[in-house]
Amino acid sequence: MSTVTLFSVSYDLSTVIARGVASVFPQPIHGWILSSDVVLGFAILFFAIILLAASMINTIMLIWWERKLLGRFMDRRGAMHVGYAGLLQNFADGFKLFRKFTVRPREADSAGFYFGPTAYMATSLIIFGVLPISTGWNGGTLPLTLLLALVIFSFAPLFIFVSAWSSNNKYSLMGGMRSAAQMIAYEVPILLAVVAVVIVAGSFDLTTIVYEQQNYWFWGPLVVALIVFVAGMLAEMERIPFDLPEAEAELVEGWNTEYGGMLFAFFMLADYLRGLVGSFLVVLLFLGGWTLPTWVPSSLTSFPLAGIVIFMVKTYLVFGLFVWVRASLPRVRTDQLLRVGWNRMIPLSLLAIFLAAVLVTVKCLPLFGCVPSPGV
Amino acid sequence: MWINMGPQHPMTHGLWNLRVKIDGETVIDVDPEMGFLHRGIEKISEDRHYNEVITLMDRCCYVAGLAWEHLYILSAEDALHVKPPQRAEYLRVLCDEFQRIGSHIMWYAAFVQDIGLMSPFLYGMRDRDLILDLFQSYTGARLTYEYLRVGGVRSDLPPGFTARAREVLDWLDARFGEYDQLCLGSDIFRKRCDNLGILKASDCVAHGVTGPMLRSAGMKRDLRKDRPYSVYRQLDFDVAVAEGADVTARYLVRMEEMRQSVRILRQVLDWLDQNPGPVLAENLPRWLGAPYAPIGREGYLLKRNYPKGVGFSSVEEPHGEAQAYVVNEGGEHPYRVKFRSPVFANISAARQYLVGYHVADIPPIMGSVDVCVGEVDR
Repeated sequence: MSTVTLFSVSYDLSTVIARGVASVFPQPIHGWILSSDVVLGFAILFFAIILLAASMINTIMLIWWERKLLGRFMDRRGAMHVGYAGLLQNFADGFKLFRKFTVRPREADSAGFYFGPTAYMATSLIIFGVLPISTGWNGGTLPLTLLLALVIFSFAPLFIFVSAWSSNNKYSLMGGMRSAAQMIAYEVPILLAVVAVVIVAGSFDLTTIVYEQQNYWFWGPLVVALIVFVAGMLAEMERIPFDLPEAEAELVEGWNTEYGGMLFAFFMLADYLRGLVGSFLVVLLFLGGWTLPTWVPSSLTSFPLAGIVIFMVKTYLVFGLFVWVRASLPRVRTDQLLRVGWNRMIPLSLLAIFLAAVLVTVKCLPLFGCVPSPGV
Repeated sequence: MWINMGPQHPMTHGLWNLRVKIDGETVIDVDPEMGFLHRGIEKISEDRHYNEVITLMDRCCYVAGLAWEHLYILSAEDALHVKPPQRAEYLRVLCDEFQRIGSHIMWYAAFVQDIGLMSPFLYGMRDRDLILDLFQSYTGARLTYEYLRVGGVRSDLPPGFTARAREVLDWLDARFGEYDQLCLGSDIFRKRCDNLGILKASDCVAHGVTGPMLRSAGMKRDLRKDRPYSVYRQLDFDVAVAEGADVTARYLVRMEEMRQSVRILRQVLDWLDQNPGPVLAENLPRWLGAPYAPIGREGYLLKRNYPKGVGFSSVEEPHGEAQAYVVNEGGEHPYRVKFRSPVFANISAARQYLVGYHVADIPPIMGSVDVCVGEVDR
């Protein structure tokens, strides 16, 4: 049961297809196709395709979820017409963007103009390769998954700035600068908040962090770190109240003003991919990942793919929180945002680290109604 | 670096251009450019019958059409020596005040959108729709009403209107508290709007800035009180005033004005219930305009004998003090029509209240001015 992983599934798939294809060819080619290297290569390819499809479909469903939630918050219904309850609306929108002609301003720098959105999209997708969604979901076990995910996550300001600068538009440039300043400012508190989690869990490996939460989820003892992390993630995802790089009212559309068609769709999708990654990380670090509290009877959680279902439900609820924030808060100003980032968030995250250290050393974790895990 | 915020820009809420000179994110100079929406309404009016001009007034301001109709009608009646029946006056005030609430809700919706609040925008549009429904039930239109007439109004209220209107007023009264919760209750809102876009009362007077902007600077000036037109003298209401002269103060003034409008409307509805009567003056000259254009001798004779005159009116429009000047030289058309748009003066003073703030402050400040380009350019 536990040996079935996403990778083993794609390896089996690759083997079956290799056998089928090899049977057509005579001996030397037949043997080469069935050799372990070729089968492994195709297994990795299938693995990547499955991950890509899963993340894209989830991203698009995330947009649907946001549109429906926002609609309800705003006393309307959201998308209703394409598909049941508008489920296919975003596919229709994406197809429309796909068919559109991509306009590049004459004075824009061609290389940067195309490189920016592509790299932004690509780096956002890569993160899904390292995030464990359930047991056996990710390709291999790295000791530093969390660090790797955050490093890839923090590439974004570079690509945003490149595409903003090469658009050769004043609004784009201002949006790009704001975006870079904001993301760098909020990178620091996020990393510090993560350090608090790492101190308590004792590992940079996300799977280990989730297993450390089997007795108690970290959001209780590490509530300060959770607040810092969620606020920082809002800024990293550039969502209201921190969406000033694309503040519509003054900067038209910020750094993606000049983008249309598929390149705009790249930005849009990458934004939501990052939203999905942010929600994933909140669930993994603070909400117990794919596990449920121990008082839930295991008969309720023994259906197939239970881990993934639990994980996705949590993710969508966390993203619902982000949508709720978006529906009810106005946008802050650049200087206020940076002041909050450097003057409030960093001291708060340092406090979170301090609290985590105290919790670990004093071993007062049972105060929260749980038994300290043997790993600490 | 000069930036063109407009003519097509999310901040402008209409067709005008705000040229902004920035240093980093700080505004060091601004230069408002208007005239993109000029349609020559004053000139067109000279070739129209008196009642045909009313159609143009709806196009002057697309959120306060009835207020502009009232402005023109007052001036035209002054020039033509016509007196409307009392019930028509009350119906006009009914239009004015509903229009004021509608305009202020529209302002609220656009303003909160400018500072990034998404939901209240739709709440505002939802509530404004109720007012538009009421308008539709007695004027037949939701945007361009053409309801007022020289000498009265076009038609009386449909049966059951006052009861429906009271329901809407009750609903709105309850919503204003929610609006306040979403804005004043939010720390981010206060941080963004307090001490922002300050225009002191003396500067307001120097630049001809009127309306909620002037009252937010602590000056108690409202034409409905200071120079009462129509039946405002008989109605009981307070002038909304706030101290601070900043964006929050303008917000407070408009919110209070909506509450006062509800108060006025309740009195007007009571009066309308108790006092039936004609809504259009009798013995009006037929050549006043469409759809009864003069055909034949009789009309011309009447017109030739009609006394000349000059009409002036000033009205507290939702955006400020609007004025109209109509010259009747005895023809079937007005000889000259001239309007004073309050928003034109309010925008023209932009340098006074924008310089020194951030680029991100421009949308809330200009939002608090409540720009309606239709009447700026006419």
